[in-house]
Amino acid sequence: MTAVLYRLVYMSRNDITDEIDTQIDGILKTSRENNRLAEVTGALMFNTGCFAQVLEGPHNAIQATFERIQCDERHSDVTVLLFEPSNKRSFSSWAMAYVGAQESALERFGNLGDESGFEFTALDGDDIYNVLLDNLHDAEAQ
Amino acid sequence: MIDSVPQLEALATGIAIINGDNVIVHANTAFARRLNVDALPYRLTDIDLPEARSRDLLEWQLRDIGESALTVAIAPGRSLTFYIGAQREGQRLIIAASGWPHRDESTRDLAAQLDPLTGFGNRLMYAERLREFEAMGTKAAAVLIIDLDHFKQVNDTLGHGTGDELLGLVAQRIRASTRGNDTLIRLGGDEFVVLIPEEKHCEGLEALAGRLVNLLGRPFLVNGHQINIGASIGVATLVGDSDQLQDLLRHADLALYEAKHRGRAGHYVFQSPLEQRAFDRREFEVDLRRALGLRQFTLHYQPQTSIADRRVTGFEALIRWEHPTRGRVSPLDFIPLAEEIGEIAAIGRWVIRCACEEAMAWQDERLSVAVNVSPAQFADDTIVDAVRDALDHSGLAPARLELEITEGLFLEESESIMRRLWAIKELGVAVAIDDFGTGYASLGYLNSFPFSKIKIDKSFIQAEPSPRAKALISGILAMGSNLGMATTAEGIETLEQYTQLEHDGCSLAQGYYIARPMPAGQIADFLERFCPPTARAS
Ligand SMILES: Cc1cc2nc3c(=O)[nH]c(=O)nc-3n(C[C@H](O)[C@H](O)[C@H](O)COP(=O)(O)O)c2cc1C
Repeated sequence: MTAVLYRLVYMSRNDITDEIDTQIDGILKTSRENNRLAEVTGALMFNTGCFAQVLEGPHNAIQATFERIQCDERHSDVTVLLFEPSNKRSFSSWAMAYVGAQESALERFGNLGDESGFEFTALDGDDIYNVLLDNLHDAEAQ
Repeated sequence: MIDSVPQLEALATGIAIINGDNVIVHANTAFARRLNVDALPYRLTDIDLPEARSRDLLEWQLRDIGESALTVAIAPGRSLTFYIGAQREGQRLIIAASGWPHRDESTRDLAAQLDPLTGFGNRLMYAERLREFEAMGTKAAAVLIIDLDHFKQVNDTLGHGTGDELLGLVAQRIRASTRGNDTLIRLGGDEFVVLIPEEKHCEGLEALAGRLVNLLGRPFLVNGHQINIGASIGVATLVGDSDQLQDLLRHADLALYEAKHRGRAGHYVFQSPLEQRAFDRREFEVDLRRALGLRQFTLHYQPQTSIADRRVTGFEALIRWEHPTRGRVSPLDFIPLAEEIGEIAAIGRWVIRCACEEAMAWQDERLSVAVNVSPAQFADDTIVDAVRDALDHSGLAPARLELEITEGLFLEESESIMRRLWAIKELGVAVAIDDFGTGYASLGYLNSFPFSKIKIDKSFIQAEPSPRAKALISGILAMGSNLGMATTAEGIETLEQYTQLEHDGCSLAQGYYIARPMPAGQIADFLERFCPPTARAS
C-alpha cells in the first residue's frame, strides 16, 4: 500500500533583500536535494514580493519539510491556502519559476523555469493555481 | 573519513572526538562499527538508537559541558555506555563501551527529568538547573515562559492525539530558535520554558521572544489538518543577584499575564516595581506632552455667586484632562508633573486663551472668568504675554478676567514677580489669592499688591464647626473687608455652611452646594435656571 499523498499550497512574503540571486539559487539547490530524498515534489514560484509553493508527498514528509521551511527567516507571513489529500501528483519533480513582470528581475530569473524544468501547463485548469498566480502578480514589489 | 591512528585502531573500545556542535570529527573503527557510523562528519545525536528516548537523554547529557556518563539500551538485554569527557576548546572525548562496570545513577535521575512527548525537560529538570545555577553562584540568567493560545480548542476539536503531535512540533520550533546551552522545559500542558544561562541583552531576549511569537503563530500541519495557534511570552531576567533565581519563573509568569492582558500573541518583559514606576512615569510624561496637541484638555466652569446680591458673578475655569485610556486624570496628578517638565507654560497659555474665548460666548457681559495660574508660570515674563495675547485674540474686556494665584508665589520675596503682577494689573486684569490660609507665606504680601479677592481655602469652610474654626473664618473675612478685598468661600457643600458665611458677611460663594463645575456648553442653560441657594431653602 502506498501512503496517501497530500498536497500543500501556501504563500508567504519574500523577505530577501540582499543577494537575491544567490539566495534563490541556494533554496533551489537544497530543496531539490532534500525533496528528492523525502519523495516530495512540487513547485516554488516567486517574485520580489512573495513566494508561493506547492508541495506534494506523504503526509509526514510534507509536515517535516514545511516545518523546516517555516523556520526560514527569508520569508514571513505564511498563509496556507490548501492542505488536503490528493490522488495524483501535478508535478513530477521539483521545479521553480519566477512569476513577475519586472524587467530587471525577468532578466535575472526568467530562465529559472527552463533550468529547473518548471512547466506552467502543470497549473492549467486548477482553480487554486489560478488564484496563486493572481496573488503572485498582486504581490510583486515595486 | 574514519580516522586511522594505528594505536587507536587496535583498540576494541570505541573512541571519538566531537566538536561543540556534537559533530563527530574523529572516530576509530571500533566506534564507527559499534554505532553504524559510515562517514564523517556525523552528528553524535543522529546515531541510530532503538529508543528515541535514549537520543533525548544523550542530547541532554551533551548539553552539560562537564564530564558525565550515560548508559542506554541498544538491543534487548544489551546496553552501551557513553563516557563523555569535559569540553575543552570546543572539543570533547567520547568513549563508547559495552558492559561499563557501573550504571551511572545520574542516568536514572535524568530520565525522571524528561518530558517524553517533547524530549524537553520537565519541572524537575528546571528545579535541578536552578540548584546548579545557585551552586555556581550564577549572576545572570533569563527565563522565557511560552504559553500557547487556543491550544485547548485544538485538543477539544481534533483530539488529544493531534494535540500531542502539535506540542511536539511546537517543541521543535522552539528548539530551532534557541541555542544548545539553553535549557528547554515543558512545564506541563501547553506551557514551555526557555531557561537561558547567561547574560543576554534585553533587546536580544525581546528579539528571541518576538521571533518565537512569530514562529508559533505560523500554521502547523498535523494529521491532515492545518492548525493555527499562537503564543504569548513572558520574559524575566536576573542580573547580578542569584538570590532572585527562585523568583525568575514567578516574574516571567507575571510578565506572561501582562502579555496576555495586552492582547494575545505578544511578549512582555517583567519589570521590577521600581522600574515599572519609572516606566509608568515616563509614559505619563509622554502622554502629557501630547495632550495639548491631541486636544485632550477641556475647561469646565464652576459658578461663583454674590451672597448679598443673590446672583451669579462669574465662573472659575477648571482644567480637565480626558485621556483615551487613562480616563479622566486629576489636575492634582498632572499639574505638578507639568510644572516639573516645563509643560506648564504651554498648558497655562492654552487655559487662559480658551477661558477668554469661551467667556465671550456668555450672554451677560458682567460675568467674570477666573483662571488658575501656577507659580511656575510666573518664572518668566511669558505669563504677561499670555494674558495680553488671550485678551487681544478673544476681545474679552480685561476687567472680566481674573487670575487666581496662590500664596506659594510669595514664599520668596521677588521683585520680578511683583513686576509681572503689576504688568498684569496694568492690563486691567484682576488678581485673586487662591487657597488662602494654606501656604506659609508671611501675610506681608497682602499689603504689597491690590488683590481683588481672597479665596478662603475649603479646608476652613468644611472644618467641623467649632468656636475656634468660626473665629478663624470671621477673622479672615474682617481682614478682607478692612483691606478692601472681596472674600470668596470655596467648597461650600451644605446649607449650614452657606447661611453661616452669609451671616458673617462673606461676599462670594462657590462650591457643590451652589453648583458643580460644568462644561462650557451648559452655562447658558445654567444661568437661565439659576436660583439662589437661600431662596431654594425657604
Ligand atoms: C520560500 C521557501 C521555500 C522553501 N522550500 C523548500 C523545500 O521545498 N524543501 C527544502 O528542503 N527546503 C526548502 N526551503 C529551504 C528551507 O527553509 C531550509 O533552508 C532548508 O530546508 C535547510 O536545509 P538543510 O538543513 O538541508 O540545509 C525553502 C525556503 C524558502 C524561503
